[in-house]
Amino acid sequence: MADTMGHSATATRNTSVALGFCLLAIAPQIFEFIWSIGTIFGWGVGRGPATVVISHATALLVGAPGALFGALGGDTKKASSDVMLALIYSYPLFAVAIVTVFMTIRSAQDYVGGVILMALALFALWASSDLQGMRGFSFGAGTAPRMFGGLLVALSAGIALTGLLAEGAALAHYSWRGPMFVMASILFFALAIRPLGLVVSAFVSFLIAALGSHETRWLEAAIVGACLTLGCALLFPYVLGLPMPMFPRFLIQ
Amino acid sequence: MELFANLAHGFVVAFSPINLLMCLIGALVGTLVGVLPGIGTIATVAMLLPITFGLPPVGALIMLAGIYYGAQYGGSTTSILVNIPGEATSVVTAIDGHQMAKQGRAGPALAIAAIGSFFAGCVATVLIAVLGAPLTKLALAFGPAEYFSLMVLGLIFAVVLAKGSVLKAIAMIVFGLLLSMVGSDIETGASRMAFNIPELADGLGFATVAMGVFGFAEIIRNLDAGAEMNRDLVQQKITGLMPTRKDLVDSTPPILRGTVLGSILGILPGGGAVIASFAAYTLEKKLAKNPSRFGRGAIEGVAAPESANNAAAQTSFIPLLTLGIPPNAVMALMVGAMTIHGIVPGPQVMQKQPDLVWGMIASMWIGNLMLIIINLPLVGIWVRLLRVPYRLMFPSIVIFCAIGIYSVNNAPVDVILAGVFGLVGYWLIKHDFEPAPLLLGMVLGPLMEENLRRALLISRGDWSVFLTRPLSAVLLAIAAGLLVLTVLPVLRAKRDEVFTESEN
Repeated sequence: MADTMGHSATATRNTSVALGFCLLAIAPQIFEFIWSIGTIFGWGVGRGPATVVISHATALLVGAPGALFGALGGDTKKASSDVMLALIYSYPLFAVAIVTVFMTIRSAQDYVGGVILMALALFALWASSDLQGMRGFSFGAGTAPRMFGGLLVALSAGIALTGLLAEGAALAHYSWRGPMFVMASILFFALAIRPLGLVVSAFVSFLIAALGSHETRWLEAAIVGACLTLGCALLFPYVLGLPMPMFPRFLIQ
Repeated sequence: MELFANLAHGFVVAFSPINLLMCLIGALVGTLVGVLPGIGTIATVAMLLPITFGLPPVGALIMLAGIYYGAQYGGSTTSILVNIPGEATSVVTAIDGHQMAKQGRAGPALAIAAIGSFFAGCVATVLIAVLGAPLTKLALAFGPAEYFSLMVLGLIFAVVLAKGSVLKAIAMIVFGLLLSMVGSDIETGASRMAFNIPELADGLGFATVAMGVFGFAEIIRNLDAGAEMNRDLVQQKITGLMPTRKDLVDSTPPILRGTVLGSILGILPGGGAVIASFAAYTLEKKLAKNPSRFGRGAIEGVAAPESANNAAAQTSFIPLLTLGIPPNAVMALMVGAMTIHGIVPGPQVMQKQPDLVWGMIASMWIGNLMLIIINLPLVGIWVRLLRVPYRLMFPSIVIFCAIGIYSVNNAPVDVILAGVFGLVGYWLIKHDFEPAPLLLGMVLGPLMEENLRRALLISRGDWSVFLTRPLSAVLLAIAAGLLVLTVLPVLRAKRDEVFTESEN
């Protein structure tokens, strides 16, 4: 009884890990889609959302298989960047995801870590795929990145393999509160420093970061934040002579 | 004697008022960082890089060096008094040091730690001065093939001396190498993996990645750990600072052994202060007539690791100054600092910038002297600093880091990138990947690629050049041998033993 329960538990867990890998396999495409929504409002540059969806969908479903069989048939037509992404990045990860369903994961920490690292390496391989390779015996711009990218794919596959073969640690627990508020604070600072100046952005970022711990007491945090802001406002521009906007732009004008 | 003339010149440079001040600030900030847990040396050096912009290069490097060895002193203070190692290097000191404090012998423990550190610092300073010139000559005989092989050896050493899985450590190095490829290619100018983001055209900033992976990631991880650490353990009045005659006799051999071991491990690429302190403690325990005393307040357990970590912190400057190859992550950041000031680390530095090299070497001795004089009276203040709760400290560190990164290039994108690398670092920690080899790979990446390209261009594409040139072949053979030894089960157990010392 206990045995069957344990078995079904690992089975569901494996499926969710595999699903996670599938999501990882199309993560760059999703990222470009989210990015492209901004172009509607005129933020940033890039293709529109409709073009992105159609282009990636055709690349994933039609273009890449076509290129794959074309390559087997000796056809060396240059594939588009989207097709290359599907071929170099997404397909191998889909394959890993499918394999995952049938495997017993002994150490999720190693296995998942290895696969994600492999995803990074494959992505780097794709990103350097349009660069020039060897020219005679001299290195092209793309030679070294491809060399190290290939090496990292092999190494991360090795790590994932140890996760299948040797007992080890399970997946560590991730908390969301700390990372979220620290990241929010950093993002706010990055976006606010130019328009709002050091004083406002440092103080507000301090308070946002303080949210990352549930032990924060507000009055105390506000006082320390104010002191720190004052200290930094004196230290960086005056003592160290690093030019920096101090106050919000609309106040100065 | 050229050596004495050089050292004398160095002392003249180091004794100028501005450099003395920099040395003092560095030593004090280093001690502060060493005392405060949750903020490491690497993060601090990264954080203070932008601050050194406005300083003359000599002063800047003197200050950064002071932070590194100052942290070794500070770490021991809190280890002994409150059983909280402020730095990874003083984890083992806490075992016996805190026991001594509990027995009311905090004074002698602190004094021995300081004396050991000072002695080790003096020896290491002389060692740097002695080894500097000959190693530089050797380095000048190196061609691109030898340089490449030397860097491979260095990275392999980093793997061997890192804790945890060998495979993971190598993967981290290669990941670092790959990250260093982002940006413009040096030879062709082609933009590599930059995705048309203008801020990436120059490559990923080294300080940005270091701050993310070591600064932000560490903060997120500490928040993860949740509950405020119990900080107010023992704080009795420290009485009788002077160690007894027996203490001194007992601790002399460990200090000597620790200094030797630390100096060697510091020079080896990939080594550094952490492994030195662990190894020195293990050695003392092995040599002791009565090993059961260890963990119950043996003074040898304080003397040896403290001397070792300080010696290693200083001798790790040798490969950087002579060969231009940083042996560990902190030295990698020093490369960053030198590059900011337009100095290319390597054998030429010794000849072209004698002020810088000898001034820095001399300042280390002065800094050590300052530390031993100022530190003991300031112990009370350092301990009181521990009372600052983490809930106030971490937002301050976040903001300070953010402002620091922004000021490097006045680029908000850098701040976001550092945040992203903070998440990457958090992920690495969760999957038990060591971030230090990554940083090393990232610094050595451009150098390795350049030398590899050059070597192959000279040999007309013949890869065997790395094996036919004798020096290069020897270096590669050592690297291969080391890697094989590490994977062997017997030695692997030994290696794990060194690192698990603190847990039992």
